[in-house]
Amino acid sequence: MSQPPAPPPLPTRSHTLSHLATCTPPSPARTWQTAPHPHLPLLATACADRTVRVYSLSHFTLQTTIGGGHKRSVRALAWKPMSRGQSTLATGSFDASAGIWRKWESGGGDAAHDYTNLNPGGKGDDDDDDDGGDGDGDEEYNFASILDGHDSEIKSVAWSASGQYLATCSRDKSVWIWEELEDEDSFETVAVLQEHEADVKCVAWHPESDVLASGSYDDTVRVYREDVDDWVQVAQMGGHGKTVWWVEFEGSGMGRVLEAGVEENGERRAVLEERERAGPRLLSASDDCTVRIWRKVVKDEEGGGQTAGGVPSIFRKSIEEEWVTEAVLPLRHDRAIYAASWSRRSGMIVSTGSDGRIVVYKEQWRAAVPNGVEEEATAGGDQEMANGEGTAAKSKDETASLTEWVVVAEIEGAHDVFEINHVCWAKRYDKGKRNEDEEVIVSTGDDGEVKIWTLEEVSSSGGA
Amino acid sequence: MDPDKDNANPTILNPSDLPSRRANASLKKRDDGGTGLFDHLIPAYTYLNDPFDAPASASDSDDDVVEDIDEQEIYDLISTISDPEHPLSLGSLAVVNLPDIRILPPTTLKSPISTVVVEITPTITHCSLATVIGLGVRVRLEQALPPRFRVDVRIKKGTHSTDEAVNKQLGDKERVAAALENGTLMGVLRKMLATCE
Repeated sequence: MSQPPAPPPLPTRSHTLSHLATCTPPSPARTWQTAPHPHLPLLATACADRTVRVYSLSHFTLQTTIGGGHKRSVRALAWKPMSRGQSTLATGSFDASAGIWRKWESGGGDAAHDYTNLNPGGKGDDDDDDDGGDGDGDEEYNFASILDGHDSEIKSVAWSASGQYLATCSRDKSVWIWEELEDEDSFETVAVLQEHEADVKCVAWHPESDVLASGSYDDTVRVYREDVDDWVQVAQMGGHGKTVWWVEFEGSGMGRVLEAGVEENGERRAVLEERERAGPRLLSASDDCTVRIWRKVVKDEEGGGQTAGGVPSIFRKSIEEEWVTEAVLPLRHDRAIYAASWSRRSGMIVSTGSDGRIVVYKEQWRAAVPNGVEEEATAGGDQEMANGEGTAAKSKDETASLTEWVVVAEIEGAHDVFEINHVCWAKRYDKGKRNEDEEVIVSTGDDGEVKIWTLEEVSSSGGA
Repeated sequence: MDPDKDNANPTILNPSDLPSRRANASLKKRDDGGTGLFDHLIPAYTYLNDPFDAPASASDSDDDVVEDIDEQEIYDLISTISDPEHPLSLGSLAVVNLPDIRILPPTTLKSPISTVVVEITPTITHCSLATVIGLGVRVRLEQALPPRFRVDVRIKKGTHSTDEAVNKQLGDKERVAAALENGTLMGVLRKMLATCE
C-alpha cells in the first residue's frame, strides 16, 4: 500500500509480513514481553526500566506507564482473563516479586474508546496526566498486591484460563501457583513445584483445564495438574538440546483449521478425531534453535493397554501423562528462539529470537503419501536451503504424520539489528482492519520497541 | 604469594609480546595482497552473487560495514580488562588471545547480524572466577560494539573443569541481564573494566 513492496525474503512465500506500526514512544530500555489485553485494544509491555508501558492497539500510542512498583527489570506480565469491569495485570520482576495491578474499566469495558481524542503527539493532553491518584482514577493502574516468595528473578507469569490461578516461575528452580482469596487483595500459595533442576524460564496454562506447563534452563518441559489436593508433575519431556525459553498451548478445538481438507478422507478424519481426544497440543521454543510440537498420547480407558512394563497401578488410574514430539517446525532460526506463539484463530505459529527474524508457520495436510520424504534437517545451520526447505525437519516421533508444517512468511531484521525477545498474536483494532477476525503479530525487542505486523496472503490470481 | 587467590602465581606475558596493531602493521598493509591472514574477515557473500543487491563497483564495497571491525580490534577492547584477582590485564595473563577471537559474517544474504566468538582461557582449570571474567568480556563487547554484533563468550574447550556449565551461563541473555542489575557483581565488573581506556 503506502510502503514500497519490499522484495520477499528468499523463496516466495504464500504470505507476506508487513510492518504496520511501531508503538510510540518506545521504551528507552530493553523490552521483554508484550501481552494483548483480553478484550480491550491495549498492549502491556514489560520493560527493563522497571516499568510496564500500556499502548493502544488502535493508535499505537502510549496510554500509561506503570512504574514505582518493581525495583528491577519487569521481565514478564499477563492480563487476567475473564475480568470484565476491571483490568488486572500481573507482573514478574528480576526483583523476585510479582505484582498485581488493577484498573477499573469505565463504561463497562469501553474505556479504550475514550482515547479517541488523545493527541497522538502525546504532549499537552491534560487528560493524560490528570490522575487523581485515588482508587478510581480513570488513567491509573493501582498497585493491589505483591507476591513474595521466590528467592531470585521471576522469569514468567501466567493466569489459568479461568483466572483462578496465577503461576510464576524463577531462577530459584521453582514454579509457584497462587490463588486469589475472595474479596481481598491477597493471594495464597497453593503449590510450590520444584521439579526442574535449573532456572524455570517460562510457564503456560492449558486453554481449558487447570493444566500447567513449564520450560527450563535444564532443557526439559514439564506438565503439572492437580491430583486430589496436590499439584503434581504428570509429565517430563526431554528433546531440546538447550534451554527451553518458551512454552505455549494450542487454542481449543483448533482441529477445525484442517477440517477443509478432510472431506472423504478417512485417515485424515481419524487424525482429527484423535487430536480432539488428546486435546490442545503444546509448543516449546529453545536455545537449540528449534520449535517442537508436543502431543499428549491418548490412553486406553480400559487401562493396561499402553502402560509400559505393565506395572499395575495399586490405587487408581495413574495420573501420569505421556507427551511425545509430534513435529519439529522447519528450521529457520540460527540463534536462540526466545518465543513462539500459536494463533487461536488461524492455528498458525509465529516464532522469533536472537537472530532478529520473525517466521510464520502453518500446518497443512501432506500433499501425497509420505513415501520417503526427503527433508534436510540442518541443525540450526545454513538458512539458504535450496529445495525442500520450508518443510518440517524429520523426527522419529513424527513418522507417517499426515500433516506437515510449512513456512508461510518470514522477515529478517524485524527490529533492525536487535534481538527480539517476544512475539505474539493480537486482535486487530486499528482503522485499517479488514475483518472482525483479523489478527496482527506483535513483536518486542531489545531496541525497546513494540512493533505491529500484518500477515497477508499473497494472492495467486494477481488481485490485491 | 596470596594463598587466597585461585592462582597465586600466574604466567605473565611481556607486554611487547602481546599482539597489537603496530606489530601487525606490515601485515595489514599487505592485506589485499593476499597474505591469507585476513581472508576470513571477508563476508561469506560478495556482491557478485547477491541477486538482491544492485551491481556495485569494487570500490563501493569498501563501504561495507561488515568489514570495519576485525579481530585485533576486538582483542584491543578486551585485553585491557583487569583480572578480578590480579592487578594484571587479561591480555598479559593470556586469558584472552588473538587467535581465539573470531568474527562470523551474517548467516544469510539479508541478515544484518554478525557474531563475535571469544574463547577465554582461565589461568587454571578450576578458576572460580571464570564466569565473572567471561561476563566482563561479554559486557565490555556489548557496550563497545555496534548492536549488530552478537557476542558469544565461551571457555576454551578443555581449559576449565566446568566449561560447559560456564558457557551455558554466559550464553544466557536473561541471566546476564539480571546479573547486570546486581550491585555487588556490577561493582566487580566496573573495577575490571576501569582499565579499558
